[in-house]
Amino acid sequence: MAVSLTEGVIMKMLNGEVTSETDMMPVLQVTELKLIQSKLHQNQESSNRYKFLLSDGTDLAAGMLNTSLNSLVNQGTIQLGSVIRLTHYICNLIQTRRIVVIMQLEVIVEKCNIIGNPKEPGHSSISLQRGGVNTQSNGGSEQQQARRSDVNGGRYGVSANSPQPQVVHNSSDAGRYGVSANSPQPQVSHNNSDAGRYGVSANSPQPQVSQRYGTGSGSRETSPSTRPYASSNAGYGGSRQEQPRAPTATTAYSRPVQSAYQPQQPPMYVNRGPVARNEAPPRINPIAALNPYQGRWTIKVRVTSKAELRRFNNPRGEGKLFSFDLLDADGGEIRVTCFNDAVDQFFDKIVVGNVYLISRGNLKPAQKNFNHLPNDYEIHLDSASTIQSCEDDGTIPRYHFHFRNISDIENMENNSTTDLIGIVSSISPTVAIMRKNLTEVQKRSLQLKDMSGRSVEVTMWGNFCNAEGQKLQNLCDSGVFPVLALKAGRIGEFNGKQVSTIGASQFFIEPDFPEARELRQWYEREGRNAHFTSISREFSGVGRQEVRKVIAQIKDEKLGTSEKPDWITVCATISFMKVENFCYTACPIMNGDRPCSKKVTNNGDGTWRCEKCDKCVDECDYRYILQIQLQDHTDLTWATAFQEAGEEIMGMSAKDLYYVKYENQDEEKFEDIIRSVAFTKYIFKLKIKEETYSDEQRVKATVVKAEKLNYSSNTRFMLEAIDKLKIGDANSLPIKAESSNYRSDAFNSGVGTSGTRDTASVDARREFGLPAANQVGQYGNQYSSDARSLGGFTSCNLCRSNSHVSANCPTLMSEPQGQYMGGTNAGGGMPRQHVGSY
Amino acid sequence: MDTSSPSVFVNGALMRRYIGQKVRTVIQVVGSDIGSVVGKSTDDLQIVVRGSSPTPPLTTYLEVIGIAESDNAIRAETWTNFGNSFDPHNYNELCKLANGEFKHLFI
Repeated sequence: MAVSLTEGVIMKMLNGEVTSETDMMPVLQVTELKLIQSKLHQNQESSNRYKFLLSDGTDLAAGMLNTSLNSLVNQGTIQLGSVIRLTHYICNLIQTRRIVVIMQLEVIVEKCNIIGNPKEPGHSSISLQRGGVNTQSNGGSEQQQARRSDVNGGRYGVSANSPQPQVVHNSSDAGRYGVSANSPQPQVSHNNSDAGRYGVSANSPQPQVSQRYGTGSGSRETSPSTRPYASSNAGYGGSRQEQPRAPTATTAYSRPVQSAYQPQQPPMYVNRGPVARNEAPPRINPIAALNPYQGRWTIKVRVTSKAELRRFNNPRGEGKLFSFDLLDADGGEIRVTCFNDAVDQFFDKIVVGNVYLISRGNLKPAQKNFNHLPNDYEIHLDSASTIQSCEDDGTIPRYHFHFRNISDIENMENNSTTDLIGIVSSISPTVAIMRKNLTEVQKRSLQLKDMSGRSVEVTMWGNFCNAEGQKLQNLCDSGVFPVLALKAGRIGEFNGKQVSTIGASQFFIEPDFPEARELRQWYEREGRNAHFTSISREFSGVGRQEVRKVIAQIKDEKLGTSEKPDWITVCATISFMKVENFCYTACPIMNGDRPCSKKVTNNGDGTWRCEKCDKCVDECDYRYILQIQLQDHTDLTWATAFQEAGEEIMGMSAKDLYYVKYENQDEEKFEDIIRSVAFTKYIFKLKIKEETYSDEQRVKATVVKAEKLNYSSNTRFMLEAIDKLKIGDANSLPIKAESSNYRSDAFNSGVGTSGTRDTASVDARREFGLPAANQVGQYGNQYSSDARSLGGFTSCNLCRSNSHVSANCPTLMSEPQGQYMGGTNAGGGMPRQHVGSY
Repeated sequence: MDTSSPSVFVNGALMRRYIGQKVRTVIQVVGSDIGSVVGKSTDDLQIVVRGSSPTPPLTTYLEVIGIAESDNAIRAETWTNFGNSFDPHNYNELCKLANGEFKHLFI
């Protein structure tokens, strides 16, 4: 039967307009029905009370049924959907909620569909209730049950009842202190349950564990009792912990919620707790996770390197600093710097290789100029920082390398740092280089090869030259090609790519890494003989190494035909000089710090005009342009000598010579001069380049420098060359220009005094330096197959007969003298102009 | 070039091999007497050179060619002043090479 509910009455009830039946007797529908058991009142039997929601079609109100009417419910007269008329009731205000307590009613319809669409003012819910303190309060609290939002409310139920993820504490506050303001917020079920349980006024503080589940440290899925948060709770009504934990119902309740609704808490959360000092063992952060926005962190690290104490002076005054690098178990690296006081505090404590726990430092962005570690940050320690030494931890590696192949270096940008591992194929002695600011530095270079088939020049500066450099030199001298691992080498561009050491570099000679072993095996197998492309080009100019060659090699090796000119040194005699046009008229106007030197044309009236400067000058310069023929024992070549070299050769200025010839018309004197120049021996530095002259390719040689030959030093050079030759024999090295082995102990000569001789030659070697030796190595290789004459036993390697030596081999005799025949020339072809009598 | 009487390059240590034969060496003059000159060989051994010394002044270094009388004495036939700057080390090496590995290159 159609029934109509009293509309709008609920609102009025809630407002207070309608309070009892004296006002009206509304017809309402039961939309929810629940049995509540109350336990606390011991003098009664545990009585049942029914609580239900009454609807007027639009709104809902909570109601409680008088126990006397329970039977109606039990019988089923009142059920869900029943329409009833309240005949005797009262509306009570219990803590801001209106509860309708019904003493008498009439059932109009027992069973009916829900009429209308009633909405509860605020929330809808079913709440899990546990025992009520007093029905009233329970009822009151229940009224505002909320589901998820309850959880919110409970969790974050700050005054505004808005979810505030990070303010878990606040929410706990709210929970704890029971929203002291007793604010009209929806109460969390937990609250309620607790309230119910502990019979305090609703919203009593409660253990927050259940709440905690939902909170940020979702990472901590441990049982409540072990929660460190528990300790942080200590600050709050401390005794809470002992209270029985929220029963599983609530936990069960909270868990699903938590997974659904889990604001991300920063892991630091616990340490930012306003109260409890968390003294639990600190959590170890990985270096990779450090950032300036984190508060307190702790890292467990090993010190991989420690720099020296440095003092500095800046506008703010004096100071001192030192830094050290750290490595942790995950392979993260970071640098730590200490200034002034921190230096005093920590300098002695830090030992390379030990493991420490470091905490409370400041994180700053890394200064890439000084810091070459792959980390965006660096740590600055101050007096508040702590460093605690701890036991060695096997999980933290000693060193962390990030090796690259040499071929990769070509693609890497300059000034970046890298780690390298390779075989040292050659090493040159230390040279002192003058820097632009006029300080001298020690420099030593070596060639490093690796499996990528490339080799690169590694330059050592300063201290490295002496310590590690010498060790490497010794190893190379004895024929061992050591494996070298270099940490933090800087890539530079100087003659191709090359690698330099920086302050933070570290060398590891013959290290015990798997890469090193692999490298060694590869080298034994194939690397020794493989061809290596050097990505560091050797060329001339400042610091070029003297490459001694013979003139015949210019043709043989096709010098000058590659892109860049070749610079070589030869020891040769001037055999001829063109006397016509030995100089030209040049422009004297200074162009910077050099005179223009372009040819000037005679204007006819005594002035000279320069095209480049576009000026006329009265007096022109005379500059040499000598065409000379150079000859050594192998070949001859034409070369052009310009002003500087020309003066050295001629011994007088071009102007003087010009005057002698043209002005003074002193032919005789001129001839004398020329004659004296001819057949003088010099050490020439030549620049060889192929140039195109109207479709014709010609290899031209320019004399860059001409030095009068110093017999003594040249002889030493020769001696070394001889030694190389012999050692090359003994070791039968493959042909590799840059390899130089000194295995004097393996020298199998019949000379009695070989002992002393070797030391002497070793000295000579050292004195003279390796660069020459490089060259001789080449000689040696060519001759290595030749003349092995040991104290009387001669055999000609060319034709295998015993009567003569390869030098005198008849197979060669047919060739015109003076021709240098590549590799077939005999060992006797060694330049020995100074040896023997003239 | 006159190859009729070849002389072997020797230093102090090598002289004993060629006793009675013509040798040549360079010595650093230490002292001179009538009829003999005492000098230091390029390998720091003492050599006595007998014979008529050349007209003074003698330079620091002196080459003598003559017959080796014993392992430290030469009867000189030819004396040549080699000047004051000379590299004895190189000469020493020469001697060793000339008598050792490269003996075949010398007469």
